Amino acid sequence: MERELVVTGVGGQGIQLLAKTLALAATREGRHAMLSADYGGEMRGGPSKASVVIGDRPLRALPVLASAWSAIVAHHRFSEPALARLRPGGPAILNLPLVDPASLPAMTVYGVDAAAVAKSVEAPQAIGFVLLGAYNAVTRLVDPASLVAAMQELLPPYRRQHAAANARALAAGAAALDVPGADLTEVSR
Amino acid sequence: MTLELLEGSEAIAASAIAAGCRFFAGYPMSPFTGLLENMSRQLPLAGGVCLNAESEIEGVNMTLGAAAAGARAATGSCGQGIALMQEAIAEAALNETPFVVFNMARNQQDYFQATRGGGWGDYRTITLAPKDVPEAVEHVQLAFHLADKHRAPVIFYGDPLLAQTRIGVSVRPLDFGPLPPKDWALDGTGGGTGGSRQVWTWAMGKATDPGPGPDRHWRAIAEKFAAIDAIESRSEQAHVEDAETLVVAFGSAAKFVEYVVEELRADGHRIGWFRPVTLWPFPGEALAAATADVRRVLVFELNAGQMLDDVRIHAADRSAVRFIGGVSIAESGLAYGELMDAPVIRDRIRTALSEGGRS
Repeated sequence: MERELVVTGVGGQGIQLLAKTLALAATREGRHAMLSADYGGEMRGGPSKASVVIGDRPLRALPVLASAWSAIVAHHRFSEPALARLRPGGPAILNLPLVDPASLPAMTVYGVDAAAVAKSVEAPQAIGFVLLGAYNAVTRLVDPASLVAAMQELLPPYRRQHAAANARALAAGAAALDVPGADLTEVSR
Repeated sequence: MTLELLEGSEAIAASAIAAGCRFFAGYPMSPFTGLLENMSRQLPLAGGVCLNAESEIEGVNMTLGAAAAGARAATGSCGQGIALMQEAIAEAALNETPFVVFNMARNQQDYFQATRGGGWGDYRTITLAPKDVPEAVEHVQLAFHLADKHRAPVIFYGDPLLAQTRIGVSVRPLDFGPLPPKDWALDGTGGGTGGSRQVWTWAMGKATDPGPGPDRHWRAIAEKFAAIDAIESRSEQAHVEDAETLVVAFGSAAKFVEYVVEELRADGHRIGWFRPVTLWPFPGEALAAATADVRRVLVFELNAGQMLDDVRIHAADRSAVRFIGGVSIAESGLAYGELMDAPVIRDRIRTALSEGGRS
């Protein structure tokens, strides 16, 4: 079974890093993963999109996804083209209050105030990891420990000081969505 | 087999080094720049040399020099830069110097450039067009093998999707069989009076060893390329046995077409696909056989219709051939436009299916 995720937001929210972290975590678990990134020259505020595909066999999915099972929507700006490709019924993690849950009527929506959660664990820069932690709590695509290890592996030496805060953000994101009905284990594997 | 999550450019560089490439020179131009960056990082660690040349012309000529000395060598750019390299590629084809040219193209508009020979003289360039990163890893090593096997430059035709997609791949040396010794190489071992070697497009030799001269030499070169044409074409196809419609595409576009064709078959359409893996030699006989019993041959490529010419030449009935591709570039000018997308391709194929075909 292949699972596709589209991540959409604006430059500066950690879109690319969270997508890369998930793809690397799956790869380190011995699974097949593909990551396609799409962003402009802007460091902050411009469109930033990524897609991740994970599977247990060589992947059939295209680098430009024809459709996707799930989404992380970090910002409503620029999100329309990505959201138009979602298959109904799959999980979507929304960054509240920036994203209106009504914008995804056909999806199984989970909202998390990523900025507030990140602040609460003194990791204000890590909202991307909050969203990723929440996403993985819902989908169980990878072991949470694999996410932490992948995050640490991806940090360059001059950013190592953020590892602990990032790990707190991943855990806090997962805890924020520890709600009844959030277990999609059956459909995620 | 452990998979590593590598960006395409990173995997291609690693595969080139695994193939024994020890010299690389090029000039940055997106989306080739990623390959140059990765070679500059990885090649020195393998004992090789990577140079950021002052221009594409210098890069290709440095590569020609390294290859003439016997090294496995490569250069690259995107189609715009490879246009500048044509003189050296023609010289290498005619003086039999093997190296690999990576065209990390921005789109599919370089088909003519790759397959027709852009310089002077009677030559072609073997051109490999992988459909995705895992196949690109294999094709990189095959390209070096074919270059050495035939003493000729070989083009690897990539694109932005191959350069920039990250995917789990395993890069290890691949064995494509034995190769002739490089006893022609200008490696300093043939010195002494009368013992020097020549790599010369005109093959006029020297006073003590006149050489065949241009007439005999170029006839031999032409025969060599005819022989390559006869033995090195590669292709893939599926569902030809019951297909009423065959879609022909190359490179990344072929992967998209394959995806769409499988969907259309699931909807009950009798449709198949055909992919030239080598653009030159073009797999003409295989295409002729695959199109013998179909009503429609649809050609999808992201240009104004270049491979279309080869399909028309080789299809069993050229009146069955329809073009469903087109020019499609991102606003940046550096990547594919909206045509490289499964839903768009599906719509184009569906429209063609509704328009009839030969009876």
